[in-house]
Amino acid sequence: MPPGPTNRRESTRPRATARIQFAVWNLQFAVCSLLLAILGASAAGDPALAAGPSIAGVIAQVQPKIVKIYGAGGFRGMEAYQSGTLISPDGHILTVFSYVLDTESITVTLSDGRKFEAKLLGADPRLEVAVLKIEATDLPYFNLDEVELVEGGTRVLAFSNLFGVATGDEPASVQHGIVSVKTTLAARRGVFETPYRGPVYVLDAMTNNPGAAGGALVTRRGQLVAMLGKELRNALNNTWLNYAIPIEELRQSVGLIREGKFAPESPEEPAKPDRALTLQMLGIVLIPDVLERTPPYVDQVRSGSPAQKAGIQPDDLILLLDDRLIQSCKALRSELEYIDFEDPITLTVLRGQELFSLPLQVSAEHQEEAP
Amino acid sequence: MTAWTEDHRAKGDWPDFRAAKTGLSRSENAEFSPPKPPRPLPPLPTHLLIGFLVFAMLAAWGLPPCGGAAPADDLELLEQEAFRAAVDRVAPSVVRIETVGGLPRVGRVLFGTGPTTGLVVDKEGYIISSLFNFVNRPASILARLPDGELKPAKLVATDHHRMLVLLKVETDKPLPVPEIVPTTEMRVGQWTIAVGRTFEGNRPNTSVGILSALGRIWGKAIQTDAAVSPNNYGGPLIDIHGRVLGVIVPLSPQSAEEVAGYQWYDSGIGFAIDAEHILEILPRLKKGEDLYPGVIGVNLGGRNLYIGEPVIAACHPNSPAAKAGLKAGDRIEEIDGRKIRRAAEAKEQISRRYAGEKIRMVVLRDKTRIECEVELVPKLEPYEHAFLGILPMRTPGDQPGVTVRYVYPDSPAATAKIEPGDVLVSLAGKPIQDRDQMLQQISAMQPEEEVELGVRRGEQTRKITLKLARLPEDLPPGELPPARGEIEPGEGELPRVGTVELKVPEMKNEAWAYVPDGYHPDVPHGVVVWLHAPGGFDFKKFLPRWKSLCDDHDLILLAPKSADPKRWNPGEVTLVQKLLDQIQSTYTVDPARVVVHGHEGGGTLAYLVAFRNRELVRAAAVVDAPVAGRPPDNDPLHRLAIYLTTAKESRRADAIKRATDRLREMKIPVTVKDLGEKPRYLNDEELAELVRWIDMLDRI
Repeated sequence: MPPGPTNRRESTRPRATARIQFAVWNLQFAVCSLLLAILGASAAGDPALAAGPSIAGVIAQVQPKIVKIYGAGGFRGMEAYQSGTLISPDGHILTVFSYVLDTESITVTLSDGRKFEAKLLGADPRLEVAVLKIEATDLPYFNLDEVELVEGGTRVLAFSNLFGVATGDEPASVQHGIVSVKTTLAARRGVFETPYRGPVYVLDAMTNNPGAAGGALVTRRGQLVAMLGKELRNALNNTWLNYAIPIEELRQSVGLIREGKFAPESPEEPAKPDRALTLQMLGIVLIPDVLERTPPYVDQVRSGSPAQKAGIQPDDLILLLDDRLIQSCKALRSELEYIDFEDPITLTVLRGQELFSLPLQVSAEHQEEAP
Repeated sequence: MTAWTEDHRAKGDWPDFRAAKTGLSRSENAEFSPPKPPRPLPPLPTHLLIGFLVFAMLAAWGLPPCGGAAPADDLELLEQEAFRAAVDRVAPSVVRIETVGGLPRVGRVLFGTGPTTGLVVDKEGYIISSLFNFVNRPASILARLPDGELKPAKLVATDHHRMLVLLKVETDKPLPVPEIVPTTEMRVGQWTIAVGRTFEGNRPNTSVGILSALGRIWGKAIQTDAAVSPNNYGGPLIDIHGRVLGVIVPLSPQSAEEVAGYQWYDSGIGFAIDAEHILEILPRLKKGEDLYPGVIGVNLGGRNLYIGEPVIAACHPNSPAAKAGLKAGDRIEEIDGRKIRRAAEAKEQISRRYAGEKIRMVVLRDKTRIECEVELVPKLEPYEHAFLGILPMRTPGDQPGVTVRYVYPDSPAATAKIEPGDVLVSLAGKPIQDRDQMLQQISAMQPEEEVELGVRRGEQTRKITLKLARLPEDLPPGELPPARGEIEPGEGELPRVGTVELKVPEMKNEAWAYVPDGYHPDVPHGVVVWLHAPGGFDFKKFLPRWKSLCDDHDLILLAPKSADPKRWNPGEVTLVQKLLDQIQSTYTVDPARVVVHGHEGGGTLAYLVAFRNRELVRAAAVVDAPVAGRPPDNDPLHRLAIYLTTAKESRRADAIKRATDRLREMKIPVTVKDLGEKPRYLNDEELAELVRWIDMLDRI
């Protein structure tokens, strides 16, 4: 079983990483500032450069579209701020849906230091996305209909108010990195503690720190790609994940929220069948489940059972249920809960050093044997 | 997940790679191999070359590559394409590894269920990976081959030195083997790309950085600032042409534990074992040979390796060094032809070797150059201290030699009729200067060894031969005679005595010391660090039990308070170190009698302090606490003695028993005090006995 969310609070290490990340960020900030200073000086004399696709030019274009959001929180390690992105000239803001927005007075600070009271227009809890509105006009913004799809290896810039370090009127911070890989968070149950199930861009920069959620990921040409997600732990290997959700995945919900037509749904969980398959129906007895991750070795096979007919033998190690990897007795039992007892399955077992894929189906006569 | 090779084929870039590789003859490409000279450069897109030209021009103008002009922007995008092309090139050799079962936790590191990454190094189905990925001992290992097929994998061999494992899958199809970069071609500052295959999807996950350093971790690894983590441990670190620089592993210069270095994940400090080295050890690993770090069995002198002379301070008996004839006092001049100037250089030259390897050493002994060959071993037999059977006097300003304070009954010294008041003047033909020098000399000897001892009584000096014994665990019966005569009060200003408040900057702990009122700077004082049991601590109430004991036995009592009254935090080891440093810099401390004493949680911390500060701490006296952490190997120069208590009804009784056995197996002397039924702290009589135990820590 992958460790649950409690691990995150138990561990003392993550904060240490955060400190390292902060230090790294600090350096990056210093470098970027220096770069900005150098380039700012040259750009001042040449308007073409300021508007050009150089890194400084891109940052100058994107920065005014990023906002800092202040709201609820501020205790027990829950930061009272996050980041957002302007998506219309008249003050629509894309951000993550979080406890920070759970207050009557949300304050938005633009990159030029102007401050506004913001209204929460709506949110889609499945995507953890929210739309805010401030009363302003003629703002620079990203058009959500013009977003880029990118692949692993693409150079990107991330804009956010991570760690709340942009304390005054100054703009948010910029980090650079590449898209490490485009992947999906849904693949295995219980691995990621987030309601979002869909494609993400994993990043090789330390972007997902406190306060960064809701920030923008853009290409080196300044095109909007994705929204930075919340802090998230990958239970597969106990690492913090730096990731962003493609705008493509958010566009429809955001559109509906803006039009006031969004009907919230609760996060979907995969449905369990009324009558699920059990090991008993299959005629398989596993070895006693005494460890946290007892390998699913077959101890006995009931004679005349579907498992025996399929050729499963004692001492086989069950590795795959259909195409899903099974890493423990517990995992096998919980995967079976999602399979209807009448559905055919394939178990792949390791016998010696050889793999055997064995199809099984519970027939009417065998289900009677189940309790 | 299964379709990634098809994906590459569909795009047409993988066949190119295969064609390029299969253009070599089979034998040349049969395993992970360096390019044959002249090195065939991978085909580079011509626009990329133009990009580099642009870069060169920009560099000539003194502008940063990301500075302003459009061509620089193109360069950035061209680099991005080069990164992708490099990853595509190595991708078919990067395999995803899945494990079944395994421990959820090793040490303080939580383990998920993977997946992790491996790299093909031989077309016959050999895959190299990071040991980190398997330290949780999974029941079964599976590798997803480039064609998407899932294969059972066998762990063939482990390199416990470079923290690598070699896996083998049975395959009829040859697996694609990547090209490697010879170590001599690597340049600090060049692009590096870390590649793993731990996320769902067709492409491997990548992170980009530069090569930060070569020859890291005592010459074992190369370093990168690309993000490395369990997401790519076991995967390749490649150059911008897609050639393998090394295989990514977590490592730490301070620790050789299997999970060491993991705490630095994604920090900008990452390590990889260079590919050329892997190529070198591959034949041994293929034969199923496990590799271990080579151990020579010497202590180098000095507390700071980086400024210390490369002089051997002690040779473990039965060690490779002792067998090769090396002796304490030898100065290391050369190792395998390399000139050695500092202790750290000697450590580096030895630490990079494997057990079983031979090194040629040149040492200087009494101005004579001595050459010898030493074969390193994986593990030393536990070292056991030899024992003569006396306690030395501690009178300051004594004549050369060691004056006998007490003779242990039934000891070698008693058998040889040595008596209190005798002066030991020579050992094995060498004159004895003082206690510390004699302790160092005897540390090169072992129990059962026969030695010649020069003993002076009155005007007469005689030579006797005796057979050394083992350090005793039991206390000698009865009171010990005083350790020193009366001395005149010192002149000049004394440091503060009585109760002294101490503070470590930036730590919020309170701390106190009691220094005997009769403190004299010429008298070396023992130090007892008291670590209270959880639940708070009042020094004023505590001191009366210790005051007279301290006064009578030249002991300084040091007592910090835990920051959290409910528990000690392992980080507070540092607090104790810093407090000890303060005491040492202000008062005259007897290095043979520095003891950490703790009760329950304080006892656990006492073990940690003792184990991690071998140069500083000579003993741990622990009441009702199990051993924390791995006990260090017994060390000739830095003795360690343990005093512990047992009680039938203690919930820690079993753990304490196991720990006692383990410590004794490691030849660390353990004095066990049975407190009867209920666990509790020591009464006055037992406390006096403990102080007697501390008083004999400088036994010889």
